[in-house]
Amino acid sequence: MQGWTGKILDIDLSSGSINTQPLDKEMARLYLGGRGLGGRLLWDLVGPEVDPLAPENVLIFTTGPITATGVQTSNRFNVSTKSPLTGTLLHSNSGGWWGMQFKRTGYDALIVRGKAPEPVMITITPEEVTIEDATHLWGKTVFETTEALGQDRNKRNVLCIGPAGENLVRIAAIMNDRERALARGGPGAVMGSKNLKAIVVEGDAKNQPADKDQFKFMLYETRKLLKASPLTSQAFPEFGTAVVLNAVNEIGALPTRNFQQTQFEHAYEISGESITDKILVTNQACWACPITCTRLTKTSSGQEGEGPEFESTWAFGAQSGIDDLELIAEANYLANDLGLDTISMGNTIGCAMELAEKGFLPADLRFGQAEKLHDLIHDTAYRRGLGDDLAEGSYRLAEKFGAPQLSMSVKKLEMPAYDPRGMQGQGLVYATSNRGACHETGNMLGPEVLALPRLIDRFATQGKAGIVSVHQDSAAVVDSLVYCKFVNLAVAEEFFARTLTAITGIRFTADDLMKVGERVWTLERLYNLREGFTAEDDTLPDRMLNEPVADGPSQGFTANLAPMLEEYYQFRGWDENGVPKPEKLQELGLADLVAVA
Amino acid sequence: MIDERLYEEFRYIGRDIFVAGLTSSHGGNMSVRVGDKIIIKRRGAQFGRLKPTDFVITSFQGKDSGIIRASTELIVHRAIYEKTSALAIIHCHPRTAITLSLSRDEIIPVDNEGSYLLHKIPVVSVEMASGSIEMANTVSEALQGYKIIMQRGHGCFAIGQTLEEAYHWVSTLEEVSDIILEHKLLGEPLIEYRKHSEAYKNW
Repeated sequence: MQGWTGKILDIDLSSGSINTQPLDKEMARLYLGGRGLGGRLLWDLVGPEVDPLAPENVLIFTTGPITATGVQTSNRFNVSTKSPLTGTLLHSNSGGWWGMQFKRTGYDALIVRGKAPEPVMITITPEEVTIEDATHLWGKTVFETTEALGQDRNKRNVLCIGPAGENLVRIAAIMNDRERALARGGPGAVMGSKNLKAIVVEGDAKNQPADKDQFKFMLYETRKLLKASPLTSQAFPEFGTAVVLNAVNEIGALPTRNFQQTQFEHAYEISGESITDKILVTNQACWACPITCTRLTKTSSGQEGEGPEFESTWAFGAQSGIDDLELIAEANYLANDLGLDTISMGNTIGCAMELAEKGFLPADLRFGQAEKLHDLIHDTAYRRGLGDDLAEGSYRLAEKFGAPQLSMSVKKLEMPAYDPRGMQGQGLVYATSNRGACHETGNMLGPEVLALPRLIDRFATQGKAGIVSVHQDSAAVVDSLVYCKFVNLAVAEEFFARTLTAITGIRFTADDLMKVGERVWTLERLYNLREGFTAEDDTLPDRMLNEPVADGPSQGFTANLAPMLEEYYQFRGWDENGVPKPEKLQELGLADLVAVA
Repeated sequence: MIDERLYEEFRYIGRDIFVAGLTSSHGGNMSVRVGDKIIIKRRGAQFGRLKPTDFVITSFQGKDSGIIRASTELIVHRAIYEKTSALAIIHCHPRTAITLSLSRDEIIPVDNEGSYLLHKIPVVSVEMASGSIEMANTVSEALQGYKIIMQRGHGCFAIGQTLEEAYHWVSTLEEVSDIILEHKLLGEPLIEYRKHSEAYKNW
């Protein structure tokens, strides 16, 4: 095995058939793995006629050519499907151990089709693949299921859904290794719609590099750069991802009370510093990761678990006007146990709070009501009372109660913890992201706030589209290899290309990889166009476009999207309707796909 | 029209390059990519004294008359934007690096900072050393795998997401070159302190 195993496992839950198909070598070279390969397979398998929760939708779990090699963060994997929340192509990736272990079973990817008549689970080893009854697990939480199936970090790893996925909650996550999440866009609901409770993997195959000396050298050089970066060697290990919360708040870009303000007066109480001071037990790492950003925390009531990450802290904190760090941490444990996307959950709760305060939603709900947080999360996972509406996500909730403009979402995916009025480039990222409002597909936190690779003017718009596009393509590369984005804070494509060359024996340059990134991005765009999305969907909530920030460092700014979007289409080689031009498709090797479509 | 925020970046970087002695008064050029256009320093403008009128906005593929005022090396800039993910380019004439390029096919840093940041700077040779298609092809292809390269006897081309990033590579290259030259003049053997440094040749 040098990079790819060359095999795709293909399981149809309707018929119970288990097949292996070869991985097309040219497809592997053009899309690498992870998000790229998943998107390319999804293009062929799921067309616009398929409802995301119908048996005809598929779940495609993919690893990358670096997975399980031991290179820094080579633990990650991806799931691709059509999202029940947004209707767009969905890709979502996760760390932990499961991805590495799945690769060790001897497959690059797993396609799950159809719907089992009763709840089932899949077990994959190098010797055998089985589909077994899981009726006894249906209804159990993520932690219960993970324990029941014998999670053993380096040997046996469990991926499953919780009650949220079973109840087809549109913001349900797929969880792996207990507390890692394929979170955004509702993949847990797709898994629930297939009556698939869990996938257990046990493997032993090694992903050996083609050029061991060069691989060793690249491991060493990457480690050097990771140690030289204050983020990856100091900030994340000491404070976790929430280390950025104060920085984002200070510049006036921390969305507060459903994006009505951009600074939270209690930011410090819920910051990475406070997590370290008050509830941190120890820091931990995913497989083969030297960064150790994971928090193991414990509250005074005795509850303990992983997190909260920055986005979860924000979602259950500033977004909901709540400053009780222990309740926020417990809300995070609960969301993980029930199998929910914490960003969409917290954002939707904040939306409900504003809807109630403004009289649209007949509920006794106000910002800052920390005591209601846990019940709201619980009710969402089980679709009880108001929770049944929250389970639909913020857009459908706000639309039902007559105020869709109060949903802080793009393409129905809830926006994360950066206000685009204080980070103009981030606004363009949200508006154009193929899976809806998402920071992970081209995060401008680096250049607009953290000076990585260089500090750029966060309020500038001219020239911003190119930087956003490069970050989006780069993120697509990272997601296709599959690295963790945090490695990308210290090293970039020139390192990835040389490492990939050492692993596969096939020469890749930095720009070869960037071309892959652009190809993946454009393919996803084509998928969404085929689903009926248009340039009109590349927008932001009205509040971002028309309500200037009232005070603070971003005072007076709205998201100046129109000129950036025009420049963006030009930069990408798309027409004024956001449709890739024929010559661009030719350049990227995508012309044949559209001709077939 | 160049935006005021972008103009300031050109002006400050241009001044710093000239003041640092990295190019002569009128030599070299720089550009950024904006949408499907390139904003490039006009031909003959002084690096250290750039004005808002010293810039030409020209098409990415060359189908406009902006070429008559643009830098001679516009053809090279276009090729680089076409073949790499660069968003900004600086071409200038750092003298120690040029000196080293006269007798070497690659410049390999011996200092710590240069080793971290660059590992190796390849030196390419072209017969028509200014504004030729041959030069455009050779330089742009070399930059597919490196963020800065030297053209023998002429100067460097550096790329980045911003002008500041490209400037960082230029500044580092000249520091790297100064140290190599001075160590060579010192005449004492190098005491290697970097693990795997022999692999830099293959970077």
